[in-house]
Amino acid sequence: MTGAATGPVLRVRGLTRRFGGVVAVGDVALDIAPGERRAVLGPNGAGKSTLFNLVAGADTPTAGSIELFGADVTRLGARQRTRMGLSRTFQTSRLLTGLTVEDNLYLAAIGVSGGRLRLLRTGRDRTAREQARRTAESVGMTDRLATLAGDLSHGEQRQLEIGLALVAEPRMLLLDEPAAGLSRSERQLLTALLLSLDRDVTLLLIEHDMDVALTVAERVTMMHDGVVIVEGTPTEIRADQRVHDLYLGKAHV
Amino acid sequence: MTMDRMLTLGTRGALAVVLVVVALVPVLCTTFFTSQVGLTSLWLGIVAVSLTFLSGYGGMVSLAQTALFGVAGLIAARLSVESGWDPWAAALAGILAATAVGLLFGAVASGSQGIYFLIITLAFAQVTYFYFAAVPTFGAHEGINGVRPPAVLGDPVQDPARMYWFLLVVSVLAFLGLRHVSRTAFGLALQGVRDDPVRMAALGYNVRLHRILGFTLAAPVAGAAGVLSAWSNTRMSAGSISLAIAILVLTTAVIGGLNRLEGAWVGALIYTLCDTYLRGWTDRFTTWLGVVFLVIVLVSPGGVVGLLGSAGSWLRHRLAGGAPPPAAPSTPAPPVPVSSGGAR
Repeated sequence: MTGAATGPVLRVRGLTRRFGGVVAVGDVALDIAPGERRAVLGPNGAGKSTLFNLVAGADTPTAGSIELFGADVTRLGARQRTRMGLSRTFQTSRLLTGLTVEDNLYLAAIGVSGGRLRLLRTGRDRTAREQARRTAESVGMTDRLATLAGDLSHGEQRQLEIGLALVAEPRMLLLDEPAAGLSRSERQLLTALLLSLDRDVTLLLIEHDMDVALTVAERVTMMHDGVVIVEGTPTEIRADQRVHDLYLGKAHV
Repeated sequence: MTMDRMLTLGTRGALAVVLVVVALVPVLCTTFFTSQVGLTSLWLGIVAVSLTFLSGYGGMVSLAQTALFGVAGLIAARLSVESGWDPWAAALAGILAATAVGLLFGAVASGSQGIYFLIITLAFAQVTYFYFAAVPTFGAHEGINGVRPPAVLGDPVQDPARMYWFLLVVSVLAFLGLRHVSRTAFGLALQGVRDDPVRMAALGYNVRLHRILGFTLAAPVAGAAGVLSAWSNTRMSAGSISLAIAILVLTTAVIGGLNRLEGAWVGALIYTLCDTYLRGWTDRFTTWLGVVFLVIVLVSPGGVVGLLGSAGSWLRHRLAGGAPPPAAPSTPAPPVPVSSGGAR
């Protein structure tokens, strides 16, 4: 990945996804620089989630290309992209409910570092365990390590969801509506956590919640009906009349 | 805390007592009981635990375990009876063949989940049954009679003690082996695949590969049970792996409890006891057996072991809640928790 240091971390060109006659994402172009914090905003049905799934490798585009860390990944699956250093969260928590918080994080660690088929305990295991506990600490879950993920509260599940994405130290983190269903105080904790993330990690988040998105992001891409209508800094976005008409106008009156 | 520790110790102690009692069966019980109930429960428990493992840890409810059981048992029987192989070598060949077939079955079935997985494995069970029922090399419907177990294990009918202990050792090894696997990275990931394959793929796992390997890992366990069954009964035929037997193995695993490996042997013991003694009391044997199973499944979805487990935690809760914490720190009455732990 020689191009990773200079070129964009993520480069999307002409990205299109049709479902029958519906164009969910139409000819989207996107460049995200290393270390950037980018938010994609838009009302329901704008195509945010489809774009997200295409970038994560959970869906295949009808047309267009996706380059990740300088390599063309358009035809690669989610698993390969994860091993390259891409990591994602899910809008509705997808946790390994029958396993403890620690085991969830441990599996997330070795999913990328290797040793997935290991039938003996080894030193690498210890490293992954330590990684799991460190991550639990950074998302504030140290006292829940032995709890089954299925027994966590909604807020805690969202915390673990982010922990799972962070534990393998990804180079790019995709967050799918991380604030969904969180209380006001939980949203503040989330915002603080996202702001504290290392600059080595590039951030792309899709968010419904303007407060979280505009606080965390440095650049915002606004989508509507499957296309990008405006891109700019949070200040520019707040000032943009089209955005007001579309989104803020309705949500903040 | 101390109460918990004592209960844990009590549980361990109780398990040790159970194991000692089980080991003493050939000494304490009749030859008939040791052979009829003991040997059958043990080999049935081993094939059932291969399903408990797949279902409980891998989320794969397979009806093909009897097919793998039959592949190993019939090949081992054929090689030792017809080709004059040493029984151990024949057993090894049979188990290896079952593992290879398991890999093949797993590779085909791993793309499906839930009811589709069940149906595909049902097809495997049927194909294997009809194959062995038709092919003269394996005795067709007659099967292969006069299977001789290794000489060191003695005569399974006249003097089943050594065979019984051998089956017990294999059972304990199968239990410890599968439990170890469930705690390794591979085993944890298999449970992850059971819980959420989409998440596991997003974490960088090859979900299908994990399913295939999990299925393959359970195959030699089912295969070993097949060989042990052929040795215990001195015969095996296609009838030993019919659809009825495939369903019996599933039922055994379910009534024992799919969440705990030891449930397989508990279920096998309950079935074998019913099979041996209910028959003498009533000619509506299958009806009563059905009633017993129905009651167990309705009362406890976690099977008999699940029932014991919830009784244990209820007791733990009662004891923890019932003991006045600040008032009487002196005597927490040790005999009560220890004996209550014995219930598990």
